[in-house]
Amino acid sequence: MIRRTSIGGKSACMRGLFVVGLVAGAIWLATSAQAGPITFNSALPVSAGMGIFRSQVKLIRKSGDATPAGRVLNVTAAPVVLAYGATSKLALFGVLPYVDKRLDITMGGARIQREAQGVGDAVFFGRYTVYQRDRPGDTLRIAPFAGLKTPTGSHSRRDAFGLVPRILQPGSGSWDPLLGVAITRQTLGWEFDAAAKYRFNTGASGFTFGDEARADASFQYRVFPRTLGSGVPAFVYVVLESNLIWNGKNRSLGATDPNSGGLTWNLAPGLQYVTSRLILETAIQIPVVQNLNGTALESDWAWTAGFRWNFFP
Amino acid sequence: MKTHKGGTTMKTLRLLLITGLLLAAPIASVAAQEANASPPATATIRVDGLSCPFCAYGLEKHLKKVAGVEGVDIDMKSGKAIVHLKADTRVNNAELKAAVKKAGFTARGITRP
Repeated sequence: MIRRTSIGGKSACMRGLFVVGLVAGAIWLATSAQAGPITFNSALPVSAGMGIFRSQVKLIRKSGDATPAGRVLNVTAAPVVLAYGATSKLALFGVLPYVDKRLDITMGGARIQREAQGVGDAVFFGRYTVYQRDRPGDTLRIAPFAGLKTPTGSHSRRDAFGLVPRILQPGSGSWDPLLGVAITRQTLGWEFDAAAKYRFNTGASGFTFGDEARADASFQYRVFPRTLGSGVPAFVYVVLESNLIWNGKNRSLGATDPNSGGLTWNLAPGLQYVTSRLILETAIQIPVVQNLNGTALESDWAWTAGFRWNFFP
Repeated sequence: MKTHKGGTTMKTLRLLLITGLLLAAPIASVAAQEANASPPATATIRVDGLSCPFCAYGLEKHLKKVAGVEGVDIDMKSGKAIVHLKADTRVNNAELKAAVKKAGFTARGITRP
């Protein structure tokens, strides 16, 4: 087994402006719907009876393949999130992504591209606030969540070369439970969020993606308005997020794939514009540490831009 | 004659007094109403936990759903929601506190002018 570690953003820094790194199948799971972090869940409230619609565009690039295949993976994902406050403490979430995956690879001396597009796997989860401490302009909340990734995406797409590799399929074909906890401390000037999540991946059609565990943190600082006026002013936050993600090795027909899984630590600077009805946000995930197994592809960067809009149905 | 004249005078005075009172009564009533008139009723709620504009929308909507509430002004800096009440309606504090709770926040106190 070969293990590779890159520290200091070997590829990320070189490739400059954008960035990010993340496991494609996990990114849309990280979306939540209230104000708060851009790349993972917060514990902030969704008012009873209120709905929040959120959508994002994510561009992800992975490369760093030292083998002659020279694989380069580009993923465009557009998850749509609907959140609903069942009560003031219980919020229900549904996430449905559309994905476009393209893999450039050298086969038989020729450079080819394999690709697959379509609706990905829908994720449903509920989050319940178990602890809430409110003070003037200040709240602290702890909210565990649990859910299920469902096999709504196809895992049997074919192209001119045959069945496309599982990593390229829009869906995994499996029912995968997940659970985690989110903690949020929010004041009028800043917000801090932390979350931990584990997803137990099951298999389908003889293939099982490795489990995923992640620990996330986010700090948001209000830069506008510098001094709060009256009413409900719009806020602009600068954001810095950290994503520590571990993926287990994939298994195919009972055999473990030594060239899959590993540990990635991303930093994600971002920006958020928040009003009472709308949030606009963007962030770039930059891999700082990648300790991957074998020839697993390294994350180069991932860029996210999106909006959230709240409504009462 | 004197008696008759005096009786007439008294009758005239009584008539004038009654007329005067009748005329004065509505004026006095209007004056009294004006004196008792108060500005539109409001209730100011101290809302704890409100620290983000995006969350304020749910609070506003829930308070507006309370029967008798005409409008809501939220001030994030002071953490207060000023609820404007319709005339001739009674909105009790429990209803307002329940609306704040539904929105996911904590109502600490309600003051009325």
